[in-house]
Amino acid sequence: MIPRRDLPVRVAARAELSPTCFRLTLSTPEVIDAVPGQFGMLACGDTFDPLLRRAFSLAGVVRRVGRTEVELLIKEVGRGTARLRRTVVGAELRLLAPLGNGFTLEGGDRPLALVAGGIGLPPVLFAAEVLAARGAAFDLFVGAVSGKELLEVERCGRAAAAVGGELVLATDDASRGEEGFVTDAVDRRLAAGRSYARALVCGPDPMLAAMAKVGRRRGVDVELSLEEAMACGVGVCLGCVVELSDGRVVPSCKEGPVFSAERLAARWWS
Amino acid sequence: MSAGTATRVGALTLANPILAASGTFGYGLDLVEFCPPERLGAVVTKGLSPRPRLGNPTPRIVETAAGMINAIGLQNIGVEAFCRDALPVLRERAALVAVNVFGERMEEYLEVMERCEREEGVAAYELNVSCPNVTAGGMEFGHDPVQLERLTRMCRAATRRALWVKLSPNAPDLVATARAAVAGGADALTLINTVRAMAIDPVARRPVLARGCGGLSGPAIKPIALRMVWEVHRALPEVPLVGIGGVETGRDAVEFLLAGASAVQVGTAIFRDPTAPLRILSELEQFCVEHGVAEASSLIGGLQWP
Repeated sequence: MIPRRDLPVRVAARAELSPTCFRLTLSTPEVIDAVPGQFGMLACGDTFDPLLRRAFSLAGVVRRVGRTEVELLIKEVGRGTARLRRTVVGAELRLLAPLGNGFTLEGGDRPLALVAGGIGLPPVLFAAEVLAARGAAFDLFVGAVSGKELLEVERCGRAAAAVGGELVLATDDASRGEEGFVTDAVDRRLAAGRSYARALVCGPDPMLAAMAKVGRRRGVDVELSLEEAMACGVGVCLGCVVELSDGRVVPSCKEGPVFSAERLAARWWS
Repeated sequence: MSAGTATRVGALTLANPILAASGTFGYGLDLVEFCPPERLGAVVTKGLSPRPRLGNPTPRIVETAAGMINAIGLQNIGVEAFCRDALPVLRERAALVAVNVFGERMEEYLEVMERCEREEGVAAYELNVSCPNVTAGGMEFGHDPVQLERLTRMCRAATRRALWVKLSPNAPDLVATARAAVAGGADALTLINTVRAMAIDPVARRPVLARGCGGLSGPAIKPIALRMVWEVHRALPEVPLVGIGGVETGRDAVEFLLAGASAVQVGTAIFRDPTAPLRILSELEQFCVEHGVAEASSLIGGLQWP
Protein backbone atom coordinates (compact mmCIF):
# COMPACT_ATOMS: atom_id res chain seq x y z
CA MET A 1 0.00 0.00 0.00
CA ILE A 2 1.30 3.43 -0.92
CA PRO A 3 1.35 5.71 2.14
CA ARG A 4 -1.08 8.64 2.06
CA ARG A 5 0.36 12.07 2.64
CA ASP A 6 -0.79 15.66 2.78
CA LEU A 7 1.27 17.05 -0.06
CA PRO A 8 2.11 20.66 -0.76
CA VAL A 9 1.30 21.10 -4.46
CA ARG A 10 1.73 23.95 -6.90
CA VAL A 11 -0.56 24.45 -9.88
CA ALA A 12 1.79 23.80 -12.81
CA ALA A 13 -0.81 24.08 -15.56
CA ARG A 14 -4.51 24.59 -16.07
CA ALA A 15 -6.29 23.83 -19.33
CA GLU A 16 -9.90 24.07 -20.45
CA LEU A 17 -11.13 20.76 -21.86
CA SER A 18 -14.82 21.39 -22.57
CA PRO A 19 -17.55 23.91 -21.78
CA THR A 20 -17.73 22.47 -18.24
CA CYS A 21 -14.45 20.64 -17.61
CA PHE A 22 -10.81 21.55 -17.09
CA ARG A 23 -7.51 19.89 -16.29
CA LEU A 24 -5.27 20.83 -13.36
CA THR A 25 -1.68 19.68 -13.35
CA LEU A 26 -0.29 19.80 -9.82
CA SER A 27 3.40 19.60 -9.12
CA THR A 28 4.99 18.45 -5.87
CA PRO A 29 8.66 18.04 -4.94
CA GLU A 30 7.71 14.80 -3.18
CA VAL A 31 8.08 11.42 -4.84
CA ILE A 32 4.65 9.86 -4.86
CA ASP A 33 2.88 7.03 -6.62
CA ALA A 34 -0.70 5.89 -6.96
CA VAL A 35 -2.83 3.14 -8.46
CA PRO A 36 -5.49 4.08 -11.06
CA GLY A 37 -8.78 4.42 -9.19
CA GLN A 38 -7.21 6.07 -6.16
CA PHE A 39 -8.14 9.64 -5.37
CA GLY A 40 -6.99 12.74 -3.56
CA MET A 41 -8.63 15.41 -1.39
CA LEU A 42 -7.73 18.84 -2.74
CA ALA A 43 -8.03 21.98 -0.64
CA CYS A 44 -9.69 24.66 -2.77
CA GLY A 45 -8.01 27.51 -0.90
CA ASP A 46 -7.28 28.55 2.65
CA THR A 47 -10.55 30.24 3.57
CA PHE A 48 -13.58 28.73 5.33
CA ASP A 49 -15.80 28.97 2.29
CA PRO A 50 -15.66 26.44 0.73
CA LEU A 51 -14.80 24.69 3.97
CA LEU A 52 -14.02 21.15 2.92
CA ARG A 53 -11.57 19.65 0.49
CA ARG A 54 -12.90 18.18 -2.72
CA ALA A 55 -12.39 14.55 -3.71
CA PHE A 56 -11.00 13.91 -7.18
CA SER A 57 -9.96 10.65 -8.79
CA LEU A 58 -6.39 10.95 -10.00
CA ALA A 59 -6.13 11.11 -13.79
CA GLY A 60 -2.39 10.52 -13.85
CA VAL A 61 0.76 10.53 -11.76
CA VAL A 62 3.97 11.29 -13.64
CA ARG A 63 7.40 11.22 -12.04
CA ARG A 64 9.77 13.85 -13.36
CA VAL A 65 13.25 14.81 -12.25
CA GLY A 66 12.93 16.34 -8.78
CA ARG A 67 9.14 16.40 -8.76
CA THR A 68 5.94 14.47 -9.33
CA GLU A 69 3.05 15.74 -11.41
CA VAL A 70 -0.49 14.78 -10.51
CA GLU A 71 -3.25 15.36 -13.01
CA LEU A 72 -6.88 16.01 -12.18
CA LEU A 73 -9.78 16.38 -14.61
CA ILE A 74 -12.47 18.46 -12.97
CA LYS A 75 -16.03 19.37 -13.84
CA GLU A 76 -17.30 22.68 -12.50
CA VAL A 77 -20.37 21.85 -10.44
CA GLY A 78 -20.28 24.20 -7.46
CA ARG A 79 -18.35 26.75 -5.43
CA GLY A 80 -15.28 24.60 -4.83
CA THR A 81 -14.78 23.56 -8.42
CA ALA A 82 -15.59 27.08 -9.68
CA ARG A 83 -12.84 28.39 -7.44
CA LEU A 84 -10.40 25.77 -8.68
CA ARG A 85 -11.26 26.68 -12.28
CA ARG A 86 -10.10 30.23 -11.56
CA THR A 87 -6.88 29.07 -9.86
CA VAL A 88 -3.79 30.63 -11.35
CA VAL A 89 -0.66 28.76 -12.37
CA GLY A 90 1.76 28.91 -9.47
CA ALA A 91 -0.95 28.82 -6.79
CA GLU A 92 -0.11 26.65 -3.81
CA LEU A 93 -2.65 24.10 -2.62
CA ARG A 94 -2.65 20.93 -0.57
CA LEU A 95 -3.51 17.47 -1.81
CA LEU A 96 -4.09 14.55 0.54
CA ALA A 97 -3.22 11.51 -1.56
CA PRO A 98 -3.25 8.76 -2.59
CA LEU A 99 -6.46 7.63 -0.90
CA GLY A 100 -8.68 4.58 -1.25
CA ASN A 101 -8.12 1.46 -3.28
CA GLY A 102 -7.68 1.15 -7.02
CA PHE A 103 -8.84 -0.87 -10.00
CA THR A 104 -7.61 -4.44 -10.52
CA LEU A 105 -5.43 -4.02 -13.59
CA GLU A 106 -4.35 -7.65 -14.06
CA GLY A 107 -6.40 -9.20 -16.85
CA GLY A 108 -4.58 -12.46 -17.54
CA ASP A 109 -4.66 -13.35 -21.24
CA ARG A 110 -7.87 -11.46 -22.05
CA PRO A 111 -8.16 -7.72 -22.60
CA LEU A 112 -9.86 -5.37 -20.15
CA ALA A 113 -12.78 -3.13 -21.00
CA LEU A 114 -12.21 0.38 -19.66
CA VAL A 115 -15.48 2.30 -19.54
CA ALA A 116 -15.97 5.99 -18.70
CA GLY A 117 -19.04 8.21 -18.67
CA GLY A 118 -18.73 12.01 -18.55
CA ILE A 119 -16.46 13.22 -15.77
CA GLY A 120 -15.91 9.59 -14.79
CA LEU A 121 -12.99 9.63 -17.22
CA PRO A 122 -10.05 10.43 -14.88
CA PRO A 123 -9.45 7.02 -13.23
CA VAL A 124 -10.24 5.25 -16.50
CA LEU A 125 -7.76 7.39 -18.44
CA PHE A 126 -5.17 6.80 -15.72
CA ALA A 127 -5.76 3.03 -16.04
CA ALA A 128 -5.53 3.23 -19.85
CA GLU A 129 -2.20 5.04 -19.77
CA VAL A 130 -0.73 2.69 -17.16
CA LEU A 131 -1.88 -0.36 -19.12
CA ALA A 132 -0.57 1.13 -22.36
CA ALA A 133 2.84 1.61 -20.74
CA ARG A 134 2.77 -2.01 -19.61
CA GLY A 135 1.68 -3.29 -23.01
CA ALA A 136 -1.47 -4.85 -21.56
CA ALA A 137 -4.47 -5.13 -23.87
CA PHE A 138 -7.70 -3.19 -23.43
CA ASP A 139 -10.52 -1.51 -25.29
CA LEU A 140 -11.49 1.95 -24.13
CA PHE A 141 -15.11 3.11 -24.13
CA VAL A 142 -15.79 6.78 -23.47
CA GLY A 143 -19.26 8.29 -23.33
CA ALA A 144 -20.60 11.81 -22.88
CA VAL A 145 -23.79 13.76 -23.42
CA SER A 146 -22.35 15.34 -26.56
CA GLY A 147 -19.16 15.49 -28.60
CA LYS A 148 -18.27 18.80 -26.97
CA GLU A 149 -18.20 17.13 -23.56
CA LEU A 150 -15.88 14.29 -24.61
CA LEU A 151 -12.58 14.88 -22.82
CA GLU A 152 -8.99 14.05 -23.74
CA VAL A 153 -10.02 12.15 -26.88
CA GLU A 154 -6.55 12.25 -28.43
CA ARG A 155 -4.88 10.88 -25.32
CA CYS A 156 -7.49 8.14 -25.11
CA GLY A 157 -6.84 7.26 -28.74
CA ARG A 158 -3.07 7.17 -28.26
CA ALA A 159 -3.32 4.93 -25.19
CA ALA A 160 -5.64 2.44 -26.90
CA ALA A 161 -3.62 2.44 -30.12
CA ALA A 162 -0.42 1.69 -28.20
CA VAL A 163 -1.75 -1.79 -27.39
CA GLY A 164 -3.85 -2.31 -30.52
CA GLY A 165 -7.06 -1.65 -28.61
CA GLU A 166 -10.18 0.05 -29.84
CA LEU A 167 -11.32 3.50 -28.69
CA VAL A 168 -15.12 3.59 -28.80
CA LEU A 169 -16.77 6.97 -28.36
CA ALA A 170 -20.49 7.28 -27.65
CA THR A 171 -22.65 10.36 -27.21
CA ASP A 172 -26.26 10.70 -26.14
CA ASP A 173 -26.99 13.10 -29.01
CA ALA A 174 -24.92 11.20 -31.61
CA SER A 175 -22.83 14.30 -32.25
CA ARG A 176 -19.70 12.15 -32.10
CA GLY A 177 -19.04 8.41 -32.08
CA GLU A 178 -21.80 5.88 -31.63
CA GLU A 179 -25.27 7.05 -30.65
CA GLY A 180 -26.56 6.28 -27.17
CA PHE A 181 -25.13 5.10 -23.90
CA VAL A 182 -21.55 3.94 -23.68
CA THR A 183 -22.71 0.87 -21.74
CA ASP A 184 -24.77 -0.18 -24.77
CA ALA A 185 -21.65 0.16 -26.90
CA VAL A 186 -19.87 -2.28 -24.55
CA ASP A 187 -22.88 -4.61 -24.65
CA ARG A 188 -22.82 -4.63 -28.47
CA ARG A 189 -19.14 -5.70 -28.48
CA LEU A 190 -19.89 -8.47 -25.99
CA ALA A 191 -22.90 -9.62 -28.03
CA ALA A 192 -20.65 -9.78 -31.10
CA GLY A 193 -18.35 -12.19 -29.26
CA ARG A 194 -15.68 -9.88 -27.82
CA SER A 195 -14.44 -11.25 -24.50
CA TYR A 196 -13.09 -9.20 -21.58
CA ALA A 197 -11.38 -10.29 -18.37
CA ARG A 198 -13.06 -7.47 -16.52
CA ALA A 199 -14.67 -4.08 -17.01
CA LEU A 200 -13.28 -1.11 -15.07
CA VAL A 201 -15.94 1.56 -14.91
CA CYS A 202 -16.43 5.11 -13.69
CA GLY A 203 -19.31 7.47 -14.39
CA PRO A 204 -22.67 8.63 -13.10
CA ASP A 205 -24.68 6.21 -10.92
CA PRO A 206 -27.24 5.18 -13.60
CA MET A 207 -24.38 4.32 -15.93
CA LEU A 208 -22.65 2.26 -13.22
CA ALA A 209 -25.89 0.38 -12.56
CA ALA A 210 -26.35 -0.22 -16.30
CA MET A 211 -22.81 -1.52 -16.63
CA ALA A 212 -23.26 -3.80 -13.62
CA LYS A 213 -26.34 -5.29 -15.29
CA VAL A 214 -24.53 -5.77 -18.61
CA GLY A 215 -21.69 -7.50 -16.75
CA ARG A 216 -24.03 -9.80 -14.90
CA ARG A 217 -25.96 -10.70 -18.06
CA ARG A 218 -22.82 -11.31 -20.12
CA GLY A 219 -20.72 -12.94 -17.40
CA VAL A 220 -18.11 -10.19 -17.17
CA ASP A 221 -16.67 -9.07 -13.83
CA VAL A 222 -17.29 -5.39 -13.31
CA GLU A 223 -15.44 -2.98 -11.00
CA LEU A 224 -17.19 0.30 -10.34
CA SER A 225 -15.58 3.48 -9.07
CA LEU A 226 -18.25 5.20 -7.00
CA GLU A 227 -18.70 8.86 -6.19
CA GLU A 228 -20.18 9.79 -2.81
CA ALA A 229 -20.17 13.11 -0.98
CA MET A 230 -17.35 12.98 1.56
CA ALA A 231 -15.94 15.44 4.06
CA CYS A 232 -12.65 13.84 5.08
CA GLY A 233 -11.61 11.16 2.55
CA VAL A 234 -9.87 9.18 5.29
CA GLY A 235 -12.66 7.17 6.88
CA VAL A 236 -13.58 9.26 9.91
CA CYS A 237 -16.57 11.37 8.87
CA LEU A 238 -18.66 8.40 7.65
CA GLY A 239 -20.43 10.63 5.13
CA CYS A 240 -19.57 8.57 2.05
CA VAL A 241 -20.82 5.15 3.08
CA VAL A 242 -22.17 2.54 0.68
CA GLU A 243 -24.18 -0.53 1.52
CA LEU A 244 -22.70 -3.90 0.57
CA SER A 245 -24.51 -7.11 -0.33
CA ASP A 246 -23.43 -8.65 2.99
CA GLY A 247 -25.30 -5.89 4.85
CA ARG A 248 -22.23 -3.95 5.91
CA VAL A 249 -22.21 -0.19 5.48
CA VAL A 250 -18.68 0.97 4.70
CA PRO A 251 -16.96 4.27 3.93
CA SER A 252 -16.31 4.35 0.19
CA CYS A 253 -13.20 6.47 0.77
CA LYS A 254 -11.44 3.61 2.55
CA GLU A 255 -13.00 0.36 1.30
CA GLY A 256 -13.51 1.91 -2.14
CA PRO A 257 -13.95 4.01 -4.14
CA VAL A 258 -13.63 0.93 -6.40
CA PHE A 259 -16.00 -1.94 -5.64
CA SER A 260 -16.67 -5.16 -7.45
CA ALA A 261 -20.29 -4.76 -8.61
CA GLU A 262 -21.20 -8.08 -6.98
CA ARG A 263 -20.16 -6.74 -3.56
CA LEU A 264 -22.63 -3.86 -3.69
CA ALA A 265 -26.13 -4.06 -2.22
CA ALA A 266 -29.00 -4.91 -4.53
CA ARG A 267 -30.16 -1.32 -4.93
CA TRP A 268 -27.17 -0.75 -7.13
CA TRP A 269 -28.58 -3.22 -9.59
CA SER A 270 -32.14 -1.96 -9.74
CA MET B 1 10.88 30.08 25.90
CA SER B 2 7.92 27.75 25.92
CA ALA B 3 4.54 27.70 27.57
CA GLY B 4 3.11 25.07 29.91
CA THR B 5 0.12 23.32 28.38
CA ALA B 6 -1.14 21.01 31.13
CA THR B 7 -4.73 21.51 32.17
CA ARG B 8 -7.21 19.92 34.53
CA VAL B 9 -10.77 18.90 33.79
CA GLY B 10 -12.11 18.13 37.22
CA ALA B 11 -9.88 15.49 38.80
CA LEU B 12 -8.38 14.56 35.44
CA THR B 13 -5.07 16.08 34.40
CA LEU B 14 -4.46 16.43 30.66
CA ALA B 15 -1.04 17.03 29.10
CA ASN B 16 -2.59 19.75 26.99
CA PRO B 17 -6.04 21.25 26.43
CA ILE B 18 -6.51 20.10 22.81
CA LEU B 19 -8.76 17.07 22.28
CA ALA B 20 -10.07 15.31 19.19
CA ALA B 21 -13.87 15.46 19.15
CA SER B 22 -16.24 12.53 18.93
CA GLY B 23 -17.17 11.53 15.40
CA THR B 24 -14.25 13.26 13.73
CA PHE B 25 -11.33 11.05 14.74
CA GLY B 26 -12.71 7.52 14.42
CA TYR B 27 -11.64 5.36 17.34
CA GLY B 28 -8.39 7.25 17.85
CA LEU B 29 -6.23 5.27 15.45
CA ASP B 30 -7.54 6.18 12.02
CA LEU B 31 -5.18 9.11 11.49
CA VAL B 32 -2.12 8.03 13.50
CA GLU B 33 0.39 9.10 10.88
CA PHE B 34 -1.03 12.64 10.89
CA CYS B 35 -2.00 12.97 14.52
CA PRO B 36 -0.76 10.40 17.06
CA PRO B 37 -3.50 10.16 19.72
CA GLU B 38 -1.01 10.14 22.60
CA ARG B 39 0.10 13.67 21.71
CA LEU B 40 -3.37 15.10 22.33
CA GLY B 41 -4.87 16.05 25.66
CA ALA B 42 -7.34 13.23 25.00
CA VAL B 43 -9.18 11.54 22.17
CA VAL B 44 -12.94 11.23 22.33
CA THR B 45 -14.19 8.17 20.48
CA LYS B 46 -16.97 8.05 17.95
CA GLY B 47 -20.21 7.57 19.92
CA LEU B 48 -20.40 3.94 21.01
CA SER B 49 -23.61 2.00 21.50
CA PRO B 50 -23.99 -1.48 23.01
CA ARG B 51 -24.30 -3.02 19.54
CA PRO B 52 -23.07 -1.81 16.13
CA ARG B 53 -25.27 0.74 14.37
CA LEU B 54 -25.52 1.23 10.60
CA GLY B 55 -26.49 4.91 10.72
CA ASN B 56 -28.71 6.89 8.38
CA PRO B 57 -29.19 6.69 4.60
CA THR B 58 -27.06 8.92 2.33
CA PRO B 59 -26.67 11.78 1.54
CA ARG B 60 -25.55 12.25 5.14
CA ILE B 61 -23.44 15.36 4.77
CA VAL B 62 -23.63 18.68 2.97
CA GLU B 63 -21.30 21.63 3.01
CA THR B 64 -22.77 25.02 3.86
CA ALA B 65 -21.22 28.49 4.25
CA ALA B 66 -18.22 28.05 6.59
CA GLY B 67 -19.70 24.83 7.89
CA MET B 68 -21.25 21.49 7.15
CA ILE B 69 -24.41 19.69 8.17
CA ASN B 70 -24.23 16.02 9.04
CA ALA B 71 -26.82 13.38 9.75
CA ILE B 72 -24.61 10.33 10.17
CA GLY B 73 -26.88 8.75 12.78
CA LEU B 74 -24.19 7.39 15.10
CA GLN B 75 -22.92 4.64 12.85
CA ASN B 76 -20.40 2.80 15.02
CA ILE B 77 -18.72 -0.57 15.51
CA GLY B 78 -20.26 -1.15 18.95
CA VAL B 79 -18.55 -1.14 22.32
CA GLU B 80 -17.41 -4.76 22.12
CA ALA B 81 -15.40 -4.27 18.90
CA PHE B 82 -13.96 -1.04 20.31
CA CYS B 83 -12.76 -2.76 23.48
CA ARG B 84 -11.37 -5.68 21.48
CA ASP B 85 -9.71 -3.89 18.54
CA ALA B 86 -8.96 -0.25 19.32
CA LEU B 87 -8.63 0.13 23.07
CA PRO B 88 -5.62 -2.21 23.51
CA VAL B 89 -3.69 -0.20 20.91
CA LEU B 90 -4.68 3.13 22.48
CA ARG B 91 -3.57 1.75 25.85
CA GLU B 92 -0.28 0.61 24.36
CA ARG B 93 0.26 4.12 22.97
CA ALA B 94 -0.63 5.64 26.36
CA ALA B 95 -3.33 7.82 24.80
CA LEU B 96 -5.84 9.38 27.15
CA VAL B 97 -9.23 8.06 26.06
CA ALA B 98 -12.69 9.46 26.62
CA VAL B 99 -15.43 7.10 25.45
CA ASN B 100 -18.44 8.86 23.97
CA VAL B 101 -21.46 6.87 25.14
CA PHE B 102 -24.76 6.61 23.34
CA GLY B 103 -27.95 4.64 23.94
CA GLU B 104 -31.49 4.67 22.65
CA ARG B 105 -32.68 3.83 26.17
CA MET B 106 -31.08 4.78 29.48
CA GLU B 107 -30.10 1.15 30.13
CA GLU B 108 -28.04 1.15 26.96
CA TYR B 109 -25.80 3.94 28.26
CA LEU B 110 -25.13 1.71 31.26
CA GLU B 111 -24.44 -1.28 29.02
CA VAL B 112 -21.70 0.62 27.18
CA MET B 113 -20.15 1.87 30.40
CA GLU B 114 -20.29 -1.50 32.13
CA ARG B 115 -18.45 -3.08 29.20
CA CYS B 116 -15.76 -0.37 29.39
CA GLU B 117 -15.48 -0.69 33.17
CA ARG B 118 -13.99 -4.14 32.60
CA GLU B 119 -11.10 -2.54 30.68
CA GLU B 120 -8.09 -0.46 31.68
CA GLY B 121 -7.30 2.64 29.67
CA VAL B 122 -10.57 4.57 29.67
CA ALA B 123 -10.11 7.85 31.51
CA ALA B 124 -13.51 9.40 31.00
CA TYR B 125 -17.00 8.91 29.64
CA GLU B 126 -18.72 11.57 27.62
CA LEU B 127 -22.48 11.04 27.61
CA ASN B 128 -23.97 11.87 24.25
CA VAL B 129 -27.37 13.34 25.06
CA SER B 130 -27.31 15.84 22.23
CA CYS B 131 -27.13 14.00 18.90
CA PRO B 132 -29.76 15.56 16.64
CA ASN B 133 -29.66 12.70 14.14
CA VAL B 134 -31.32 9.74 15.80
CA THR B 135 -35.00 9.04 16.48
CA ALA B 136 -34.55 7.54 19.94
CA GLY B 137 -32.14 8.56 22.67
CA GLY B 138 -29.79 11.46 22.04
CA MET B 139 -31.50 14.81 22.30
CA GLU B 140 -34.56 13.35 23.98
CA PHE B 141 -32.48 13.01 27.18
CA GLY B 142 -30.49 16.18 26.65
CA HIS B 143 -33.46 18.51 26.31
CA ASP B 144 -35.33 17.55 29.43
CA PRO B 145 -33.54 18.48 32.67
CA VAL B 146 -35.49 15.89 34.69
CA GLN B 147 -34.56 13.02 32.37
CA LEU B 148 -31.00 14.28 32.02
CA GLU B 149 -30.44 14.39 35.75
CA ARG B 150 -31.83 10.86 36.07
CA LEU B 151 -29.62 9.50 33.29
CA THR B 152 -26.53 11.23 34.64
CA ARG B 153 -27.19 9.90 38.13
CA MET B 154 -27.56 6.34 36.80
CA CYS B 155 -24.27 6.64 34.91
CA ARG B 156 -22.57 8.29 37.87
CA ALA B 157 -23.38 5.25 39.97
CA ALA B 158 -21.76 2.98 37.39
CA THR B 159 -18.26 4.46 37.43
CA ARG B 160 -15.60 6.23 39.44
CA ARG B 161 -14.02 7.49 36.24
CA ALA B 162 -14.56 11.01 35.01
CA LEU B 163 -18.08 11.61 33.72
CA TRP B 164 -18.69 14.33 31.18
CA VAL B 165 -22.03 15.24 29.67
CA LYS B 166 -22.09 16.69 26.15
CA LEU B 167 -24.82 19.29 25.99
CA SER B 168 -27.05 20.27 23.12
CA PRO B 169 -27.23 23.84 21.85
CA ASN B 170 -30.76 22.96 20.76
CA ALA B 171 -32.07 22.54 24.29
CA PRO B 172 -34.74 25.08 25.26
CA ASP B 173 -32.80 26.12 28.38
CA LEU B 174 -29.07 25.48 28.23
CA VAL B 175 -28.25 26.52 31.77
CA ALA B 176 -31.08 24.39 33.16
CA THR B 177 -29.72 21.30 31.39
CA ALA B 178 -26.21 22.15 32.58
CA ARG B 179 -27.46 22.36 36.17
CA ALA B 180 -29.33 19.06 35.76
CA ALA B 181 -26.22 17.24 34.54
CA VAL B 182 -24.18 18.62 37.42
CA ALA B 183 -26.91 17.71 39.91
CA GLY B 184 -26.81 14.18 38.52
CA GLY B 185 -23.10 13.96 39.24
CA ALA B 186 -21.31 15.07 36.07
CA ASP B 187 -17.65 16.04 36.59
CA ALA B 188 -17.58 18.26 33.52
CA LEU B 189 -19.75 19.46 30.66
CA THR B 190 -18.85 19.39 26.99
CA LEU B 191 -20.47 22.08 24.90
CA ILE B 192 -21.66 22.33 22.26
CA ASN B 193 -22.88 19.52 20.02
CA THR B 194 -24.06 20.42 16.50
CA VAL B 195 -26.78 22.97 15.88
CA ARG B 196 -29.91 21.59 14.22
CA ALA B 197 -29.97 22.79 10.64
CA MET B 198 -31.08 22.03 7.11
CA ALA B 199 -30.05 22.59 3.51
CA ILE B 200 -32.48 22.68 0.59
CA ASP B 201 -31.97 21.79 -3.05
CA PRO B 202 -34.05 24.49 -4.77
CA VAL B 203 -34.29 22.65 -8.10
CA ALA B 204 -35.45 19.36 -6.60
CA ARG B 205 -37.42 21.28 -3.95
CA ARG B 206 -36.21 18.74 -1.42
CA PRO B 207 -33.86 18.74 1.57
CA VAL B 208 -30.32 17.83 0.54
CA LEU B 209 -29.88 15.31 3.34
CA ALA B 210 -31.77 12.04 3.14
CA ARG B 211 -32.92 12.56 6.72
CA GLY B 212 -34.12 16.10 6.02
CA CYS B 213 -32.33 17.84 8.88
CA GLY B 214 -28.97 17.39 10.52
CA GLY B 215 -26.44 19.11 12.75
CA LEU B 216 -24.36 22.13 11.73
CA SER B 217 -20.67 22.21 12.66
CA GLY B 218 -17.58 24.16 11.66
CA PRO B 219 -16.49 27.81 11.94
CA ALA B 220 -20.09 28.96 11.32
CA ILE B 221 -21.09 27.87 14.85
CA LYS B 222 -18.05 29.11 16.76
CA PRO B 223 -19.65 32.37 17.97
CA ILE B 224 -22.69 30.43 19.21
CA ALA B 225 -20.47 27.91 21.02
CA LEU B 226 -18.38 30.65 22.63
CA ARG B 227 -21.48 32.42 23.90
CA MET B 228 -22.85 29.16 25.34
CA VAL B 229 -19.58 28.22 27.06
CA TRP B 230 -19.38 31.68 28.54
CA GLU B 231 -23.03 31.58 29.65
CA VAL B 232 -22.66 28.22 31.42
CA HIS B 233 -19.33 29.26 32.93
CA ARG B 234 -20.91 32.40 34.33
CA ALA B 235 -23.84 30.46 35.79
CA LEU B 236 -21.72 27.56 37.11
CA PRO B 237 -18.19 28.93 37.56
CA GLU B 238 -17.00 25.90 39.55
CA VAL B 239 -17.95 23.37 36.87
CA PRO B 240 -15.18 22.38 34.42
CA LEU B 241 -16.19 22.87 30.79
CA VAL B 242 -14.85 21.34 27.60
CA GLY B 243 -15.46 23.78 24.75
CA ILE B 244 -16.22 22.69 21.21
CA GLY B 245 -17.58 24.34 18.09
CA GLY B 246 -15.68 25.54 15.03
CA VAL B 247 -12.18 25.50 16.53
CA GLU B 248 -9.81 25.90 13.59
CA THR B 249 -6.80 27.75 15.03
CA GLY B 250 -4.83 28.23 18.21
CA ARG B 251 -6.48 31.63 18.67
CA ASP B 252 -9.89 29.95 18.55
CA ALA B 253 -8.73 27.63 21.34
CA VAL B 254 -7.57 30.64 23.37
CA GLU B 255 -11.01 32.24 22.94
CA PHE B 256 -12.72 29.14 24.34
CA LEU B 257 -10.32 29.02 27.31
CA LEU B 258 -11.03 32.68 28.03
CA ALA B 259 -14.77 32.03 27.86
CA GLY B 260 -14.36 29.46 30.61
CA ALA B 261 -13.42 26.15 29.00
CA SER B 262 -10.69 24.07 30.65
CA ALA B 263 -10.04 22.16 27.43
CA VAL B 264 -11.10 22.39 23.81
CA GLN B 265 -12.22 19.79 21.29
CA VAL B 266 -11.33 19.96 17.62
CA GLY B 267 -13.86 18.37 15.26
CA THR B 268 -14.75 19.47 11.76
CA ALA B 269 -11.29 21.03 11.34
CA ILE B 270 -9.89 17.48 11.24
CA PHE B 271 -11.87 16.84 8.04
CA ARG B 272 -10.07 19.76 6.38
CA ASP B 273 -6.69 18.96 7.85
CA PRO B 274 -5.93 15.63 9.53
CA THR B 275 -3.11 17.29 11.50
CA ALA B 276 -5.44 20.02 12.81
CA PRO B 277 -5.36 19.15 16.55
CA LEU B 278 -1.54 19.17 16.65
CA ARG B 279 -1.34 22.31 14.54
CA ILE B 280 -3.83 24.04 16.83
CA LEU B 281 -1.83 22.92 19.88
CA SER B 282 1.36 24.38 18.48
CA GLU B 283 -0.45 27.60 17.54
CA LEU B 284 -1.80 27.79 21.08
CA GLU B 285 1.71 27.42 22.51
CA GLN B 286 2.92 30.05 20.07
CA PHE B 287 0.16 32.43 21.18
CA CYS B 288 1.11 31.92 24.81
CA VAL B 289 4.78 32.62 24.09
CA GLU B 290 3.97 35.73 22.08
CA HIS B 291 1.66 37.10 24.77
CA GLY B 292 3.74 36.25 27.79
CA VAL B 293 1.41 33.54 29.05
CA ALA B 294 3.49 31.06 31.03
CA GLU B 295 0.72 28.51 31.54
CA ALA B 296 -2.10 28.05 29.02
CA SER B 297 -4.37 27.05 31.91
CA SER B 298 -4.08 30.57 33.30
CA LEU B 299 -6.26 31.70 30.40
CA ILE B 300 -9.25 29.67 31.62
CA GLY B 301 -12.16 31.96 32.43
CA GLY B 302 -9.92 34.98 31.97
CA LEU B 303 -12.40 36.95 29.89
CA GLN B 304 -12.48 40.61 30.90
CA TRP B 305 -16.16 41.51 30.92
CA PRO B 306 -16.85 45.18 30.18
